[in-house]
Amino acid sequence: MDLLPNISLAAFCQQLLVGLSRTTILFIVASGLSLVLGVLRIPNVAHGSLYMIGAFLAYTIASAAGGGTFGFWLALVLAPLGVALISLAVERGLFCRLYEREHLMLLLFTFAFTLVFGDLVKLVWGSDFRSMNAPTSLQGSFDVLGFPFPKYNLFLLIIGPIVALGLWWLTNKTKIGKIAKAAAVDREMVAAVGINVSWVFASVFVIGCFLAGLGGALVAPTQNITQGMDHGIIIETFLIVIIGGLGNIWGALLGALIFGLTDAIGILIFPQFAIVFPYVAVITVLMLRPKGLLKSVW
Amino acid sequence: MKPLSRFILTTLAVLVFSAIITGPTAFAAKAVKVGIVDCYSGPPSTYTNDVRDAFKLAIDKINASGSLSRKIEFVTRDSKFKVDIGLSAAKELIMRENVDIMMGTINSGLALAISDLCKKEKIPFLVTFSKSAKITGEKGHRYVFSLTENSALAGKAMAESLAKKPYTKFWIGGDDYEYGHAIADATWEHLIKIKPEVQLLGQSWWKVREPDFTPYITAMLAAKPDAVIVATGGADCVPFLKAAKATGFNDKVPFIMHTATELSTLKPLGANGPEGVLGTSNYFHYFPDSAENKAFVSEFKAAYDRPPAVGALYGYLAATFIQKAYATAGSFKTEKFIDALEGMTVDSPVGKVTIRAFDHQAMLPMFMGVTKKSAEYDYLIADDIIVISGEDAMPAIEEIKKARGM
Amino acid sequence: MSASPKTDWKKLIWALMGVAVFFVLPNFLSRFSIYLMALIFTTGLLATSLNMVLGYGGMYQFHHAVFYGFGAYTTALFLTKTGLPGWVAFVCAPLASALLSLLIGLICVRLSKLYFGMFQISLGSLVWAIIYRWYSFTHGDDGIHGIPVPDLIASGKSAYYFALIVLVVCLMIMYRIVESPFGRIFQGVRDNPERSEAVGVNVRKHQLVGMIIGGTFAGVAGSLFVVVEGSVFPDLLFWTLSLEILIMCLLGGWFTFLGPLFGAAIIVLLRTFVGIYTEYWTIVLGIVLMLLIFFLPEGVLGYIITRYRSRRNPKFQEG
Repeated sequence: MDLLPNISLAAFCQQLLVGLSRTTILFIVASGLSLVLGVLRIPNVAHGSLYMIGAFLAYTIASAAGGGTFGFWLALVLAPLGVALISLAVERGLFCRLYEREHLMLLLFTFAFTLVFGDLVKLVWGSDFRSMNAPTSLQGSFDVLGFPFPKYNLFLLIIGPIVALGLWWLTNKTKIGKIAKAAAVDREMVAAVGINVSWVFASVFVIGCFLAGLGGALVAPTQNITQGMDHGIIIETFLIVIIGGLGNIWGALLGALIFGLTDAIGILIFPQFAIVFPYVAVITVLMLRPKGLLKSVW
Repeated sequence: MKPLSRFILTTLAVLVFSAIITGPTAFAAKAVKVGIVDCYSGPPSTYTNDVRDAFKLAIDKINASGSLSRKIEFVTRDSKFKVDIGLSAAKELIMRENVDIMMGTINSGLALAISDLCKKEKIPFLVTFSKSAKITGEKGHRYVFSLTENSALAGKAMAESLAKKPYTKFWIGGDDYEYGHAIADATWEHLIKIKPEVQLLGQSWWKVREPDFTPYITAMLAAKPDAVIVATGGADCVPFLKAAKATGFNDKVPFIMHTATELSTLKPLGANGPEGVLGTSNYFHYFPDSAENKAFVSEFKAAYDRPPAVGALYGYLAATFIQKAYATAGSFKTEKFIDALEGMTVDSPVGKVTIRAFDHQAMLPMFMGVTKKSAEYDYLIADDIIVISGEDAMPAIEEIKKARGM
Repeated sequence: MSASPKTDWKKLIWALMGVAVFFVLPNFLSRFSIYLMALIFTTGLLATSLNMVLGYGGMYQFHHAVFYGFGAYTTALFLTKTGLPGWVAFVCAPLASALLSLLIGLICVRLSKLYFGMFQISLGSLVWAIIYRWYSFTHGDDGIHGIPVPDLIASGKSAYYFALIVLVVCLMIMYRIVESPFGRIFQGVRDNPERSEAVGVNVRKHQLVGMIIGGTFAGVAGSLFVVVEGSVFPDLLFWTLSLEILIMCLLGGWFTFLGPLFGAAIIVLLRTFVGIYTEYWTIVLGIVLMLLIFFLPEGVLGYIITRYRSRRNPKFQEG
């Protein structure tokens, strides 16, 4: 309707905050995707399925533990670990035999996994909608500048920087991070100095998938946990990784910020056309910088 | 490597050829065959499974009673919510399985496609979940019947109930696809007709399967409307209600949402769902509090160990109408079947339901209620239920004639 | 592929025999099989058109379905909204798809590999979103049904013959393109873009032309779809369909000319007949795909051809 309704500054700031909490989820999932892309060169389409499985596992664990506050925290810890375990099995069993293949083959192989995981979720969890509760302390909202801001979103705003810091520490301060970085640039070289690259790759893959599971577990209390959760997130995170610069974790952060914020602001200013905003943002970025915003490791 | 690849190749070949060669199995006594194409994968399956299960239950009963000289059988195909897959499957059912009746589907695009196919093939098509008003409206024809409410009916019912409230400034938010827009338009057009002083502050449209509604809700709050019409359906109701609860939206601004009070929506939310949300639905397992409904619920529960949701009503209606139409027609000829169905009335858990002869739309009562905690169930239920009769919610025949260009 | 006249004759005879078989086939097939074959021709043409870009151009054409759907929608809109004779629609559809691939291509060919593919997905999704929500013009997600196809090709059997003839003509043109000087350079660009650039080939221009060729034939396939199904809907432009076509190419073998056609046939048949027995068709497809990547990366037809050649000529052993 109105192209320029009366938007107060408070509403704008509020919208930014909400957009930031969405950014957190996108960043967590996209950084995992980017990590795998950067080090292993696998465009992992199944990343979205792992996110979905993370959410389903969180639901199952939380309800098994009684569904209360304890259940939530337990799920938040165990569900990503469960996803990591699945991904370890997949990596050791199948992926590690395919590293030399063309990217397109790898992409299609991971797509095969999305097909299989999709039906497995249907087999295991059935077709009912699932939902889990946030812990009591994180339910409801408080007022920010006269608008309600969900407490759970604040929690997400805290988690985001923690994950980012953890990733920074992992890639810059730990041995495995340094090896992974080197392997991303030149894997033959790393192998030549006697490091078992295969296990470095496995660890990175597992960490990346852990992040997908963590993202899934984190959104579980705010969403309808159903089949098909994987479809939406995978395209979004791929676009984020692309505009950020393939394989660059900080690029993923930047991409998630652009995506999350244009989405939120678009909703406020042009509510009728919010659907196209992030896509337009992506296209603009890529027109200006065809290789993404930050340096790609590819 | 080599033998393995040969093995895979042969398996593939055998799979394909055996599939082609084995035709549908021949049946000893010729039965009436119903072909169901519907989405049994992904979020919509939570609705469609109930249609199929209730249909099966009713069919088994009909077959056991021997009220028809032929048995009724049915086959299902999964459309995966894709029109191309569903349409292909429908052709397979019609051309290869030679079904007598088609049934389905929750996807409106597919329902319209199959409706067009059935018109050409002269096969009756009973629509059991699609909410598109075009099915029996603009695109209606002799062979298509709708046994479910549609966006026109739901919109009219919502407008009727909103007009009774003191709200004037509205905001519309909805799923950015045909269903969302259709239901929002139907509501708004009727509302402005019966209450001209209403005004529309603005609209928000989000993509289907939007994961997080918080930014939309805060944007709507910023506009300060008296009430919000939420045109969201299916799987998206759950996250919307969650976000409403987290932001306290339901306490700050009243909103109405079709299907908000349905079991599939409220059950996953548990006792923690938002109270005070207005919603409309065709069926509750606790309402109407009649003997018919109680019997239906207990039978369904005994068979499937869960209470029936709205889809079960549609499945039940389909089976009941099929049985009665054949019995009344006294013949298994398609044209006789259709003649019998036109204007037919059956008893159902929600009382008597009639198919309007002109447009083949079942006149189902609509129940409008408010979500409320319940002592009996561990999820919210609809309370203060107002019944809007099927006749009242139906679009006038003149409107349909106009839409069809008659 | 040696170009000696002898082999060409042999190929021609084989091809003619094949076409002749397909021309008499409808007399022995059920109505459903005829429909299914027509669908296979359509899908096969689509997969072959993708392979022009993917297999012969080595470009990551991740959103090929957009050109298919665009062609289908152009046909449908022409047939429903204009009073022009139906045949105009069939000419306009490939042209519209060609134009769209020119537009998308102009932006995309600057990028390489995965960027190319992902950028195409976002642009394609934009086209999809427009068709999905432009209700007044495209009827949104409801789609357009009951499209009035010209009477001559409206029945199941005549649709089959129409699809068959169009497929054969398109295959012939595409084969000529592949074997033409342009086709050779195009494949050279795929195998070694740097060297091609160095010897003075305009890589981007060739890639752009390749995309337009692929898009045009996808548009033809789109209008065939309208003839066969009589409906269009936004699913035809959705990215999951694009991945399905990719799988068809892989399954049949994207280093062979007829491989994708073969792959399309297998996928359509499997989807139809597995769907009869189970709701879990997706998991079957996933497992088939995994096995394929592990054991048959050259595709079914590719495998058969290598086997056949290695038996006749032991020197041809792969590896």
